[in-house]
Amino acid sequence: MTTTEVDELAQKSEDEVREHLAAGKLVEGLAHMSPQYLAGIRRILTVSADTELVSAPAYLRAASHAPALNNFGSAVSIIQDELAHAHIGYRLLGDLGVDMNALIYEREPSAFKYPYAFDVPLDSWHELVLANALYDQAGFVLLSDVHRSSTFGPWKRALAKVDKEETFHLRHGRTWVKKLAGDPAEKRRLQDSLDWMFILTLEWFGLPDERKLHGIQLEYGFKGMGNDDLRQAWMAEVVPFMTEVGLNVPAHWDEDLDRYVIDCPFPAQFDEERRRWLLEDGAISWDEVMVRWKGRGPMNRDYVARLQRGYRSRLEAAA
Amino acid sequence: MSEVEARLWTALTEIEDPEIPVSVVGLGLIVAVRYDADRREAEVELTFTSMGCPAMEFIQDDIRERLLREPEVDEVLIEVVWDPVWTRSRIREDARARMRSLGIVA
Repeated sequence: MTTTEVDELAQKSEDEVREHLAAGKLVEGLAHMSPQYLAGIRRILTVSADTELVSAPAYLRAASHAPALNNFGSAVSIIQDELAHAHIGYRLLGDLGVDMNALIYEREPSAFKYPYAFDVPLDSWHELVLANALYDQAGFVLLSDVHRSSTFGPWKRALAKVDKEETFHLRHGRTWVKKLAGDPAEKRRLQDSLDWMFILTLEWFGLPDERKLHGIQLEYGFKGMGNDDLRQAWMAEVVPFMTEVGLNVPAHWDEDLDRYVIDCPFPAQFDEERRRWLLEDGAISWDEVMVRWKGRGPMNRDYVARLQRGYRSRLEAAA
Repeated sequence: MSEVEARLWTALTEIEDPEIPVSVVGLGLIVAVRYDADRREAEVELTFTSMGCPAMEFIQDDIRERLLREPEVDEVLIEVVWDPVWTRSRIREDARARMRSLGIVA
């Protein structure tokens, strides 16, 4: 089975969808969708499911550094949650005419649509718990917004449980960051990792609103907040927490502007081999950032190969 | 049950499970609570929904921290017990209703 064309599956006109939404109704399935709505909801569901899916091999790599069996258990449980969240997204895509197997197992690694941050390897327990505090916080900000604002009923309802599970991941990250920050040597290691991970998560929210590509995302209520507000909402959670535990982040609350301000060149050039921002070279354009994103990062092929290995080897054995 | 023990139970209802917003009491994780006035010690028998529960440390930390805030308590002893075995029947009705509203079958 191949992915079915949107025009064939979604036969409402754009005006009919607008009327349906204006009447305060949710979109429950293909019968309520126009081609643009279907294409849009497929896009955002794919990004969400891909992000959850790739976090599994990324976190598993870091979880191997767990300091004790119990801690490894907590990390693996978080990974299991992420796989379940990915499944929710792919299942809904299946209902929307997308061939799930082809999407997960037959796509090229570079065609996956998760944030670039996951392409940079996490190589310690410190980096795993920082990822829980930074990346899962970003996921939480984005999904809470979808949960509040989405006009697609099946996803909106599924997210009630997802949100609760993500709060455990945040708790895991924050508890450990706080604990490690209490020891001077561990704190230095945390700070070294935070230096590259914080800015990488700032990028997660994408282009600033003035350059936004998917205006229809707001109009059709795939999400409620623009990228700038989402980035602000993330900083409002992360900056005070990191400051409280004595870690430095290049952002602060500005009373006069009434918003968080980033204190370093942003966006900037990233040396992915050394996992270091070349801040001394100053800010670069978003076009340059997009070239890096599109080229994907060091772990992309490895992670996707891990996820696809079982399915592919079974196909090869059968052939 | 002593007056202090009753207060310890109430204090425990303020502790939420790290994953599901219902209390550890509502979830049926607290098997017994005893208070030793001479030692100013609270003793809690605690179970988990599974032996591989990922939140075991968090829940124990939360219980210890909360009970130490009670004026009569200087020490908290937590004993993890697997008998009785936790089943869904240990979930209290109000917690069950809350979980259903979140789409969790309980």
